[in-house]
Amino acid sequence: MAFDLNSLDAPFIALAGFDWGADADFFKSIDAAAVAAHGDASLRGELEKRFGALLAGSTSRATKEYVCRKLAMIGTAVSVPALAALLTDADNSHMARFALERIDLPEAAAALRKALGVVEGSLKIGMISSLASRGDLQSVAAISNLLGGDATIAAAAAAALGTLSTPEAAAALAAAKPAGDMAAAVVDARLACAEAFLAKGDRKAAKAIYSSISASIGDAPKTHRERAVRVAAKRGLLAAAE
Amino acid sequence: MRRVLAVVCLVILLAFAPPSLLAAEAGEPPSRDVLDSVIELIRSGDADLLPVALEKVRGGLKGEDFTRELAEVVLPGLERSQDQAALLAALADRGDKAALPAIMAMAQGPAEAVVRAAAIRGVAALGGSDEVPFLESLLSGEAGTVDAARGALVAIRSDIVSPRLAIALGDEARSGPQRLAIVGILSERRETSALPALVAAAVDADADVRNAAMRSLGAMGGPEQIPGMVAGLLAARTDAERSDADRAIVQVCKEHRSKNLAAAALLDRFKAADPAAREVLLPTLARVGGPAVLEIVDGLIASPDAADRKLGLVALARWPDATVKDRLLHLVAQASTEEEREMLLGGLIRIAPLPNNSLDPAGKLALVEQTMSLCRRDQDRGRLLERASAIRTVETLRYVLPYVNQPTLAESACQSIVELAHQRKLRDGNKDEFMAALDKVLATTKNAEIADRAQRYKLGKTWERKKQ
Repeated sequence: MAFDLNSLDAPFIALAGFDWGADADFFKSIDAAAVAAHGDASLRGELEKRFGALLAGSTSRATKEYVCRKLAMIGTAVSVPALAALLTDADNSHMARFALERIDLPEAAAALRKALGVVEGSLKIGMISSLASRGDLQSVAAISNLLGGDATIAAAAAAALGTLSTPEAAAALAAAKPAGDMAAAVVDARLACAEAFLAKGDRKAAKAIYSSISASIGDAPKTHRERAVRVAAKRGLLAAAE
Repeated sequence: MRRVLAVVCLVILLAFAPPSLLAAEAGEPPSRDVLDSVIELIRSGDADLLPVALEKVRGGLKGEDFTRELAEVVLPGLERSQDQAALLAALADRGDKAALPAIMAMAQGPAEAVVRAAAIRGVAALGGSDEVPFLESLLSGEAGTVDAARGALVAIRSDIVSPRLAIALGDEARSGPQRLAIVGILSERRETSALPALVAAAVDADADVRNAAMRSLGAMGGPEQIPGMVAGLLAARTDAERSDADRAIVQVCKEHRSKNLAAAALLDRFKAADPAAREVLLPTLARVGGPAVLEIVDGLIASPDAADRKLGLVALARWPDATVKDRLLHLVAQASTEEEREMLLGGLIRIAPLPNNSLDPAGKLALVEQTMSLCRRDQDRGRLLERASAIRTVETLRYVLPYVNQPTLAESACQSIVELAHQRKLRDGNKDEFMAALDKVLATTKNAEIADRAQRYKLGKTWERKKQ
């Protein structure tokens, strides 16, 4: 049964002026439309058009957050530009990533990769995290380049490379020259890579990582963390040798 | 059709399965390198890495040859006893019987106590009926070994343990502590085939054995064991032992799935008993309760024989619920001696507030009021006031509160009020009344603990009861 688009006019007008604390029950018909849009390309297109206009306009953060949540459910390549435009906006970047992370299309990943090269600080960490969550292998090189920079960003990059766990990611981690807290993040990421290799049956690659970590700590660990890493590396070595 | 589908699914799964999984499924033996690595870690004595190696012993590296190497070569060569004990535990968890001969040798040898105990546990985990005689022989050894053997005989999978131990239990040459250990093992194995042996042990010459057997029968026994348990009760030589035996019989008669049959069996034994035995059995019978027992009790109370009447009154005073309240009220009013009166009154004070005494809260409170009117001594009144706090209603608070004004009963009333106030739901639901009552308690009591509790409840806090 076709959805009555006229019934959405008033809720969309209310949504344009929405802010936190106001009654969100009024948008239940928009929620229902978003659900109905699955399998209804025409309705989906209409909703994306209206949502895009709200994202582009001078609406509140509350409105944009609501829209991003809906686009995470129904968004297509049509919505990517409007969402991408928010990635550099400190107030709305997080919710735009929330949507783009879940839109399973190459255009969404490309938008996140592009923003990675533009934004700085916590926004950059957000892009790294979203790309890793998407399992975006095309971002490995760009993320690897961040290992040598700002320590916080480098730690996030290391964690992301551990999640992505490609041979290139493992190589970048092995070549990194970390210091302080960053060193712990790199070791954790390398262990994650080794586990992923082991799960895929690449024992040789896993063993190389475990051996390298084990050798770097030696037989006399000094801290509790070193002891834990040594145990993890030994366990991994035995598993890789089995 | 289904079979074809299953084959297709299997082919697809195998096509995408990782090589490691395929190797494991094919039963590929572990490489010498990895075995050597594990052995090296075990021998290293490294506290961090030993668990990593033992994890592999427990579940990773399969193969009888490796098991034998660990048990026959690595285990005896370890320098530290705690490492030997840890490897023994891992070999036991590994579940490979190939380790059993070496572990058995260690259990039989002159190893340190901690190692020997671990070996004995290993024998239990890997062994079966063939090892039971050895474990049984350890029961006459040193204390540490006996404990390990006891645990092993409880744990070992064998159907000859209970029959062998049942025979051993009847062996008078065995010491009391040994027979006591055997009763414990039979009890923990919970095999019904051991029940006749436990019944026999209920009349053992050793009081500890009798007690342990009765406790086991209380947990495991049924109607068939009641005659034997009655013999155990009659064999008890002290009040404490009689009380334990009584508790075990009541447990069977009230908790067993055939509890009515158990109660009937108890009644049959009572009817067949001589007068002296009846005197011992009647209080137990009374604690079980029921119409048939009440008929006997009524008959005894009506008897012209003073001894029979006293027996009946004792039984009535121990009744488990309030179904006898009218009888008790009537008999208290007609008591011929003060001793008789106190005993019956004690029964009323006990049953009036019982949680499952067949009365609703209002009925319980009414019975408390009736009982109070019969009390002649302040110590009985005080006891009744304190017991009344088990009726958790605001009406109880209203009943108890005026007694705070009576100097001789004030502390009992205060105690009862703080007990009621301890029930947060009751207290919060009647906040004004409780706050006023607690103020009165604080102004009256000389007892520091009661005052502390009253203060806490006023502030909305709780109070932790000291463990007995």
